[in-house]
Amino acid sequence: MKPSFTRRGFLAGTAALLAATPVLSSCGTSAATAAPTGAPRRGGTLRVGITGGGSSDTLDPHIPTSSPDIARTLNLYEPLLGRDRDYKLEMLVAQSVTASADARTWTAVLRDGVRFHDGRPVTPADVVATFRRITDPKDPKNGAASLGMLTEVVPVGANAVEFRLSEPTAIFDDYLGQYPLGIVPADFDVKKPVGTGPFRVSTFTPGLQSEFVRNEHYWRPGEPYLDSLVLIDFTADDARINALLSSQVDAIDQVPLALVDVLGSDPRMRILTSETGTWLPFTMRVDRPPFDDVRVRQAMRLIVDREQMITQVLSGQGRLGNDLYAPFDPAYAADLPQREQDIPKARRLLAEAGQENMTVELVTAPVQAGAVEAAQVFQQQAKAAGVTVRINKVDTTTFYGDDYLSWDFAQDFWYTRNYLPQVAQCATPDAPYNETHFHDPEFLDLVGRASSTMDPSARDELLKQAQRIEYERGGYIIWGFANQVDAYQVYVAGLAPSRTGLPLSGYQFRQAWLG
Amino acid sequence: MTAVEKLEVVDTPEVPASQPGLFRRAWALPRAKLGAALTAAVVLVAVLGPWLGPVITGHDPTDFAGKPFKHDGIAGTDGIGRDVLTRFLAGGSTLLLYAVLATAIGIVLGAAVGMFAGYSGGRLDGVVMRGNDVLLSFPQLVFALLAIAMIGPHGWLLVTVIGVTHAPRIARVARQATVAVVASDYIRAAEMYGVPRWRILTGEVLPNITGPLMVELGLRLTYSIGYVASLSFLGLGIQPPTADWGLMINENRIALIVQPWGVLLPVLAIAVLTVGTNLITDALASAAAREEAR
Amino acid sequence: MTRLIIRRLVVSLAVLWLVTLLVFIATLLLPGDPARAILGQQATPERVAALQHQLNLDAPVWERYLDWLGGVLTGDLGFSTSTQGSVNSLLGDRIVASLVLLVAAAVISTAVGLALGTWTAIRRGRAVDHTVSGISLVIAALPEFVIGMALIILLSTTVFRIFPSVTLTRPGAQVWSEPGQLVLPVLTLVLVVTPYITRMMRATMSEVLDSGFVEMARLKGLRERTVIVRHAFPHAIGPVAQVIALQLAWLAGGVVVVEFLFRYPGIGQALIDAVNKRDVEVVQAITLLIAAMYIVVNLLADIVGIVTNPKVAAR
Repeated sequence: MKPSFTRRGFLAGTAALLAATPVLSSCGTSAATAAPTGAPRRGGTLRVGITGGGSSDTLDPHIPTSSPDIARTLNLYEPLLGRDRDYKLEMLVAQSVTASADARTWTAVLRDGVRFHDGRPVTPADVVATFRRITDPKDPKNGAASLGMLTEVVPVGANAVEFRLSEPTAIFDDYLGQYPLGIVPADFDVKKPVGTGPFRVSTFTPGLQSEFVRNEHYWRPGEPYLDSLVLIDFTADDARINALLSSQVDAIDQVPLALVDVLGSDPRMRILTSETGTWLPFTMRVDRPPFDDVRVRQAMRLIVDREQMITQVLSGQGRLGNDLYAPFDPAYAADLPQREQDIPKARRLLAEAGQENMTVELVTAPVQAGAVEAAQVFQQQAKAAGVTVRINKVDTTTFYGDDYLSWDFAQDFWYTRNYLPQVAQCATPDAPYNETHFHDPEFLDLVGRASSTMDPSARDELLKQAQRIEYERGGYIIWGFANQVDAYQVYVAGLAPSRTGLPLSGYQFRQAWLG
Repeated sequence: MTAVEKLEVVDTPEVPASQPGLFRRAWALPRAKLGAALTAAVVLVAVLGPWLGPVITGHDPTDFAGKPFKHDGIAGTDGIGRDVLTRFLAGGSTLLLYAVLATAIGIVLGAAVGMFAGYSGGRLDGVVMRGNDVLLSFPQLVFALLAIAMIGPHGWLLVTVIGVTHAPRIARVARQATVAVVASDYIRAAEMYGVPRWRILTGEVLPNITGPLMVELGLRLTYSIGYVASLSFLGLGIQPPTADWGLMINENRIALIVQPWGVLLPVLAIAVLTVGTNLITDALASAAAREEAR
Repeated sequence: MTRLIIRRLVVSLAVLWLVTLLVFIATLLLPGDPARAILGQQATPERVAALQHQLNLDAPVWERYLDWLGGVLTGDLGFSTSTQGSVNSLLGDRIVASLVLLVAAAVISTAVGLALGTWTAIRRGRAVDHTVSGISLVIAALPEFVIGMALIILLSTTVFRIFPSVTLTRPGAQVWSEPGQLVLPVLTLVLVVTPYITRMMRATMSEVLDSGFVEMARLKGLRERTVIVRHAFPHAIGPVAQVIALQLAWLAGGVVVVEFLFRYPGIGQALIDAVNKRDVEVVQAITLLIAAMYIVVNLLADIVGIVTNPKVAAR
């Protein structure tokens, strides 16, 4: 009686769908059903469907907010350093970045031959102007929050700049390697944007799409292979998937995890699965009752059935979390025992804290796929421990509105980061997004010292101790790391899994080509 | 649709629709029986479902029965792996409750305002009906959308807002019917005897306009069900994790090509329910119209 | 009669003005603010304040209302805080897209409704009449998103797979460049509205067919078809026109849910987006547009009713 969903039925349906759509895309289609092999071929247009975006889309390199913004930023601009697919730092506009002995002065030597889209070479003056734009106190951009220790940027000679810091910072290069720090010329005008990235702007319609063409002056030899790149906004999941199935786009990001099998069984499609450091935590304010009692926080962390979270929320597409972030940092405290659900202990802790059968309100919003679902799963799991979770679902605008960062118990969403940069974002009194209001003096002392410790193993040791503190008394419930799953047509080559959490090879299309 | 639309555009009836025979006459029509059967079936599911569901399937509406959007269980799982059949059986009661309450609010408010305006006549009548027109100049759904976006998707707000948007439309019908009654002799007599106005309205006017009001009741109930479900579908009504038909349709439609039951079942339920109430309403309207025609 | 019409006109204008007031006040009460909505997670207090000043959000309320109203009266619908551009340019294409749906639905449903109504009136009491009546009754009961969803299940995803369930237009292209994607949304709107027109036409046509002058026409020996088309039809049109107008007015609001269902890039979607982004002037503009269309069409319906009402026209 159940309608059987056979592969043949699905394919027949897709064929019918194609037949009913009179306008087929012209560029980039191919009848091949095998992945392209051999050397990359130059030419063609890649059309990518990206989640989100809207009328506030921008070409500004320093304030990307939505996923399409981020995709644009990564293809039009480059910072001094970036992240490769394994989330390691790689040199981009800079050829080397070195620290002085006291870690208060960092010198970046600019790479030879890097030119802007209009052909001009990148000069130290441009780098200085870029950072001035980013950290302008009247209009600080996204990256300004992690550059708090930067006092000035000074040109040195014809091809280097010096970063002068207010305090010793052992991993300043980590802070420099973030995508909203793209280098732009001193006379940058966002209405005629110019960067050093593999593509340059051809047309841009906010809320709809942007078209880029190859940057002929790009410094990497041979790249990009594509002649042009079209990034199309899709706010709705089903519209995006339909666009891929009807070949209106060649690749899409963020396949809903429950539909991965369906797409994967279509021979015209390939699925790209990346293990990432993306985390979707529950946040408990450590300075407000009932979570100001560490026993309550520990109890909440023991209530979570982490495997079930991954199964129900991510359809199994994820890795267990252990209430610690930055899984790809070399200093990640992998030796701490993996927490598991322990209801009796949770009940005991709650009773000790005088919070038996407590009721809490959890504020959730669809800030990312899986957020509202995770809230519902946690609510269900909490019942076993006698905890009643009342869900207050708000829309994204309200969530990031006046009360953001003030809620007692809520959620949030983070891409992959290394440990200290993440701490700077969320775990210090100055951090812009300290959802848990975690102001632990012992912890701050440890990270402060680590931040100025040049020796990596000594630093790692301090960071492990800091993580132990968060593991024991932090305010996050980090139940897992979500996989990033994207899909593309079989004739697209050059896309590879990326740990950054950004979809489709970290939105890096310079190595993509069409077979 | 029902003949009540005709009432709105045609002259007011000469004879008040008398009430006693109305239900009997309506029931005599086969539509009424069919409508009643359909409505009763869905109401039964909605009312008994929350209790029956776990008995049949062994799951609670918030239990996890398997991986998301798979075929475990009789009707498969939903977006986070809960059992669809259980959630479907539990998904009608809140919807029904809100629809009935909203209709009640609308009828009470609308009838009161309409009767008052129709009885008062003259300038007061004019002013009230102009005010009514302003409220009518908004599509109901858009009004609800804005109100809920402003204040939040609370149950009481949902019920109130839908009830309030029904009221002007009911007021129009009530006023028209009242105007027809007001000129008659027994009303005049009561006035001459000094019977207070509210007594006249409730004692003499109201019983004589129940025909059109009953029809409006049926109509508004049908629409209320639609509005509550639509608002839940838009995400502005009943909130997760509560199981609700309108909400389920939106939650599960991403997986229509894989697991259609999460959408199919609630769609069928809402369809059968609204068809049932509309059939009953239509029978009532036919019976009322027949009375006028005599 | 003219006096009656003018009075209705004046009242409608007054109502329209009151609506602008209500809309403005309502959107001010939306929680959250546009600056935060634009900045999203990146909203630090300094950036929010800077943006608010840039968008003139710190001017007094009455000043903002008058500015806006003045603009509307001169055709400028305001400034969109989320695009940082004019509301006109944001809504231009979308209004066209929605109009495509509405006009197509209006034309088809009117034609079908009038035809079916006439046909079932002629075949009164027979099987065809009962069938059409029954189906009309069923369809008229269903909420429009249920009709839309049923169509999707039937024709798009599960039973047959003929039409797309979401709008697939390449951005920048016009919605009619792929007519296949218009079928389901238009069909949904048509199904919602046609039953009422059919029913009304049938009722009116039945009366007319029974009337004296039609009998006269028949006695004169005219062919049945001529009788119906030239004598009966024009007399039935009056009251039906009012119903048609009322249904078209409904379409103005009903299009919101249908656009949401099919991801159709019209003003309905734009309204939902704008509410989510607290883009106050866009919400005002669209609400005003919908209310205006509603009022105008209702006014036309009233005028048609006045004009065709024999009692009034006779004066």
